[in-house]
Amino acid sequence: MTLPLTYHVRNVFVRWRATLATVAGVALVVAVYVLVQSLAVGLEKSSRNTGDPRNVMIVRKGSTAESSSQVTREQLRLFKYWPQIARDEQDRPLASADVLVMLTRPRRGSEAEAHVLIRGVGAAGRALRPQVALVAGRWFVPGQREVVVSRRLAARIAAFDIGNTFKAAGRELAVVGWLEGQGSAFDSEVWMDGDEARRIFDREFYSSVLVRMRDERSAAAFLRRLEADKRLPLRGLRETDYYGAQTMTAVPIRILGGFLATAMSIGAVFAAMNTMYASVGARTREIGTLRVLGYRRRTILVSFLVEGGLLALLGGVLGCLLALPLHGYSTGTISLETFTETVFEFRLAPWLLAKGLAFSLLVGVAGSLLPALRAARLPVIAALQSV
Amino acid sequence: MSTGTFVLKNALRNKRRAGLCILSVAVSLFLFVTLLVALREITIPPEDVGAASRIIVRNKISLGTLLPARQRAVLERLPGVAAVTPFTWYGGKFRDEDATLFGQFAVDPLKLPVLLPEARVPPEQWAAFFKDRRACLVGKIVADQYHFQLGDRLPFTGTIWPCDLELRVAGIYEGTLDDRNVFFHHDYLNEAVGELNQVGTWWVKARSLDQMAEVVAEINHAFANTAAEVRAETERAFQMSMISMWGNIRILVRSICSVVVFTLVLVSASTMNMAVRERFRELAVLKALGFRRRQLFAFILAESFGLALAGALVGVGGAWFFYSHVSIARLTQGIFITFEVTPRILGQAWLIAVGLGIGASIAPAVAVARMSVVEGLKTLD
Repeated sequence: MTLPLTYHVRNVFVRWRATLATVAGVALVVAVYVLVQSLAVGLEKSSRNTGDPRNVMIVRKGSTAESSSQVTREQLRLFKYWPQIARDEQDRPLASADVLVMLTRPRRGSEAEAHVLIRGVGAAGRALRPQVALVAGRWFVPGQREVVVSRRLAARIAAFDIGNTFKAAGRELAVVGWLEGQGSAFDSEVWMDGDEARRIFDREFYSSVLVRMRDERSAAAFLRRLEADKRLPLRGLRETDYYGAQTMTAVPIRILGGFLATAMSIGAVFAAMNTMYASVGARTREIGTLRVLGYRRRTILVSFLVEGGLLALLGGVLGCLLALPLHGYSTGTISLETFTETVFEFRLAPWLLAKGLAFSLLVGVAGSLLPALRAARLPVIAALQSV
Repeated sequence: MSTGTFVLKNALRNKRRAGLCILSVAVSLFLFVTLLVALREITIPPEDVGAASRIIVRNKISLGTLLPARQRAVLERLPGVAAVTPFTWYGGKFRDEDATLFGQFAVDPLKLPVLLPEARVPPEQWAAFFKDRRACLVGKIVADQYHFQLGDRLPFTGTIWPCDLELRVAGIYEGTLDDRNVFFHHDYLNEAVGELNQVGTWWVKARSLDQMAEVVAEINHAFANTAAEVRAETERAFQMSMISMWGNIRILVRSICSVVVFTLVLVSASTMNMAVRERFRELAVLKALGFRRRQLFAFILAESFGLALAGALVGVGGAWFFYSHVSIARLTQGIFITFEVTPRILGQAWLIAVGLGIGASIAPAVAVARMSVVEGLKTLD
């Protein structure tokens, strides 16, 4: 014989004053957990969104990030015309030799500063990255000292509106357009012409080279050949693999999230336990009555577990609702790979919300286990006699 | 029975509840201290003795762009300048490590004692460091961690610089704020990279503290409109600039801190409420016996205060003990290094505990003050 569900639901609400604090506590815990994890998810998603499986990136052997790599012009000449690289209509290889420069810029509306990543793209740079699209203004004209900045970055950095100019290496650069990269790492970049960037920032070398492969087989052949060529101290890797590995920035956020979840859930378990003990204490006579009516110990135990679970789940739902408005909200921090400002979003994936709810349920059940055991073990007569 | 024992007995009457209440306060305060310490570590640069008179010169474009070595002669001729050394981050990987947790900097060895006066190194080790081009000075913490001995050879793979290095331990320093770096000869780096003649930053020591602002302005002026314009600033300003790079993470941690405090107040207040409501009848009896509202309030306050402070003792004390005995650097893969629980943070946590003790007693106290004796005696719950 089991108790009807309405009994549990009503019990949760009848002592609403004591319940409210616990529900709110669980809600906040779940909200914090979900939000911090959603940051890590957003960061990793922006890395994962970036690569194109048909592209191969070439960097210096030993460098850990594109921005700290160097590829000389001689090296580029050596591999640029290999047959595995796809060609465009004019039969030019689809290769983009990029220059990455870090620029210190003030943040929008504050004294604080940020490092901004400038990418000088080669001729085929845009064709190789079709996810990058212009959303306002126009593309830069090489030689005119023009740049196109990410719209999301523009929201965070001073003087990045279209029509603004800013000073870099003694030259005035004009912002002529905004780009958007569909939530990829390019949403944290400023683009300009590659050779112009090399001139302005006095860079002898390219940072990296991105090439489009003819097909899957040629990609494997190209990587083998690059590895085997002793003249080239370079490393080739698929663009997807490169960006897939750029997840270091998410590590501290994950640590923070895990730590917060653990510590806060312990607190929440205590709170739930307190509420449930109080509930058991207040309903001692009721429990005795139920037992006399023939309900078994097991039923009482389950009843309190269900009640605790419901209570916490309510908090979990509330917490998810609290966190939900921040979904898609764009934020930024320094990337631990490139040391430049990286823009990403809170991403409240459905599985993350489900995890939050499961987490709250766990807190509720863990918190009500001991009180429920106590309720189930109450001696019937003594319980009936209690006031 | 004295008032003290009465309060104590009341607080411990429901031992389980008292325990849970203390523990939840303790956990929250532990969390609070941890977050504050983490926030401090990423927002407030540590101050050290030598920093006051150091000026850091970087490329105006950003730290990522190098400076020409020829600037040194110009810097040294400026009137307020006492000493100049290149200070270049090598950023290599040590042996086969995936991520090396200590920094390696290429410097002018002869100028290092002037620029880094707080570093304590035995004179014979300084001499050995000066003499050998491949020599390096290792921070004590790193030396202990890896069990380095004088004379050990340390291989590094360049991640930023396209050259690998092999350094020989000539000395071990301690006494700086972060004894976790390796210093080596800039000449060796320059040679290994093929005479690029470029440096990461310049570290400049001013002749006196009064001249700092003047020297900063002089340096900025000296390279204005040259091919490599610089940005000179005091070490402190430099650190603040680095910290502003963290962006919104600081706001995030700060808001989490406030959520934690809020949750803490909520949970403890509800526990106090529960405790008081449970003995409404009893309090009504006390009222009927002639106890004043003020006295009843004092009972409740004392109990709530006691629970909050006991929680603080466990939570704050626990945090202090934990972080001063556990290597956080290893636990967080080197993201947090010192993780020092400062007296200021301890004070803040205690303040919150006190506020909590007072805050949590208000609602029940008001309820008790308002209740009429008859009503209270009738309460069953």
